Amino acid sequence: MNAYLGVDIGSISTKGVIIDDDNHILASSYIWTKGNPMEAVKELIHHLEKEIGKRKINIIGVGTTGSARKLIGTMLNANIIKNEITAHAIGTLSLYPDVKTIFEIGGQDSKIILIEDGIVVDYAMNTLCAAGTGAFLSSQANRLGVQVEDFGRIALTSKKPTKIAARCTVFAESDLVHKLQMGYKKEDIIAGLCQSVVSNYLNNVGKGKKIKAPIIFQGGVSKNIGVKKAFEEEVGNEVIVDPNGHLMGALGVAILSKKNPLKTSFKFSICEDQFETRGVECNKCPNHCEIICISKNKKLIDAWGNRCSNGDMMSKTSNH
Amino acid sequence: MSKIMIGIPKALLYYKYGNLWITFFEELGCEIIVSPNTSKKILEDGIKYSMDEACMAMKIYMGHIYYLIDKCDYILVPRLKCVKKHEKLCTNFSALYDLVSNVFDTNLIHYNIDVDHKEDEFYAFTTMGLSLGFSYRKIVSAYRLAKQKEKLLKEREISKQKVLIASSTKIKILLAGHPYNLHDEFIGKQIEKILEENNIDIIYSDRYDDKYLEEEVKVISKKNYWTFNKEIMAAISHYQDVVDGIILITSFPCGPDSLSNEMILRNVKIPITNLIIDEGNSDTGLLTRIESFIDILEERRKNHE
Repeated sequence: MNAYLGVDIGSISTKGVIIDDDNHILASSYIWTKGNPMEAVKELIHHLEKEIGKRKINIIGVGTTGSARKLIGTMLNANIIKNEITAHAIGTLSLYPDVKTIFEIGGQDSKIILIEDGIVVDYAMNTLCAAGTGAFLSSQANRLGVQVEDFGRIALTSKKPTKIAARCTVFAESDLVHKLQMGYKKEDIIAGLCQSVVSNYLNNVGKGKKIKAPIIFQGGVSKNIGVKKAFEEEVGNEVIVDPNGHLMGALGVAILSKKNPLKTSFKFSICEDQFETRGVECNKCPNHCEIICISKNKKLIDAWGNRCSNGDMMSKTSNH
Repeated sequence: MSKIMIGIPKALLYYKYGNLWITFFEELGCEIIVSPNTSKKILEDGIKYSMDEACMAMKIYMGHIYYLIDKCDYILVPRLKCVKKHEKLCTNFSALYDLVSNVFDTNLIHYNIDVDHKEDEFYAFTTMGLSLGFSYRKIVSAYRLAKQKEKLLKEREISKQKVLIASSTKIKILLAGHPYNLHDEFIGKQIEKILEENNIDIIYSDRYDDKYLEEEVKVISKKNYWTFNKEIMAAISHYQDVVDGIILITSFPCGPDSLSNEMILRNVKIPITNLIIDEGNSDTGLLTRIESFIDILEERRKNHE
């Protein structure tokens, strides 16, 4: 049976799926990136291999997306490397063909994707700061001594959410400390944080965008039921959170690799190969580009980061 | 007597008036040194000699001045207050001369334009020429020639772009913004490179014949007095029917752009995205935004076919 692998490597988590020709998910995995995308991917592939077990599959397409898409794409010899906006849209559309709006809040960035008649017509990403993303919520959970996973459940118990200034992470934090010292209840503050994430999102990423239902909410923060509820109150519409919401990027890029007529070969044994990255500063012109070199079993397979041909590592090695 | 060496920083207004300045000084028999394309070193020097609040294009400019110091007799730093009656420019353009002369100890040439107070371009060139010791007659003839050549080069660029629009079957994107942002190595060129790698034909907003500027600008903004922003708006309204999408480039933080971008984003009829570039920008964010924008344009084309 032919199968396709999609990998989505985010700042916080790494997601992977294997699908068949009918886009059915055969195996999926979701693990922490822990700042080491290459190791995370190896672990991910290991998990996927275990889940596939004795089923006979032949992976002929590999797609990568997310912030480490290029690095991992090189490592896995992907036949498609796609940005996360398109990947998420394709993945979501395969399950919800009528979707009009996708909210996505991840670890470091947040996005809004607007869709009309099954195609993406507009998008936006957070521009200047990461206020109101997953990283912000987990640092605040830490401060409050609560598991971030419990945030949503606690938020729902609040009857009177506290208002928290969330324009900026730094100000939100000092406002939160102030509210705590004033004696506000913890659950009210947590509910207030959830609301502030939503109002920050809608006033920043969602500014000036026409939000139409059906709305799908994804990314790590979508697991927080408090934020979901705050979104519903704010936009006045149902907001759908799919149990597989975190896999949409990986699913999307797996579908794209299936559509690509150019195929690749992939073996689970890739986990045994040794991959290494090395940063080199090029001193051949005043730009001092930092070039990243990727090697597989001590052999250079790709390099990037140079602004001009002076820093072209690949052609240099092939010349010699 | 050895020739006078004039230094011209390749930043800000160079991208608008560079041809005019170079021909003028060549005709007068001066030697000219133009600073190289912005490099990381130039940008870093620029940041060192600028205040934090200055926009990225200004910081780059200061870096170019630093490069030229000790390499020439005079540096051309224009002071432009108003180039079209009853209209305005960003205050930075009128402050530039004083800013540079306060930060660096170097010889600058006087070049002032303030049309609202009867100091037009011709006046600026004559005072500049006279201060360098050239005869009035020589200055006038050099200026006339420079004007002719400037016009010719501009027309050539515009007609080249017209041919591209008429013949291209690829996806076309209009890069819109101030010329000094569009063509700078660290601002527009970064974007240009990504577009070229993705097989996109690029149309530039500064290659635009401003014959019908006043009418064309009204599509986007009825009342507006920022000369340079009006040019961008008019070019956008002129080209929006022949391109697939628009990338609006701004260097952070730009005062006039913050106003005009809003009007552009509201009134344009085709897909548009606004990229704001600052000196701390990472390429990854830029890449993701541009790639997804191209995906949108490709899908749109497929759907129309």
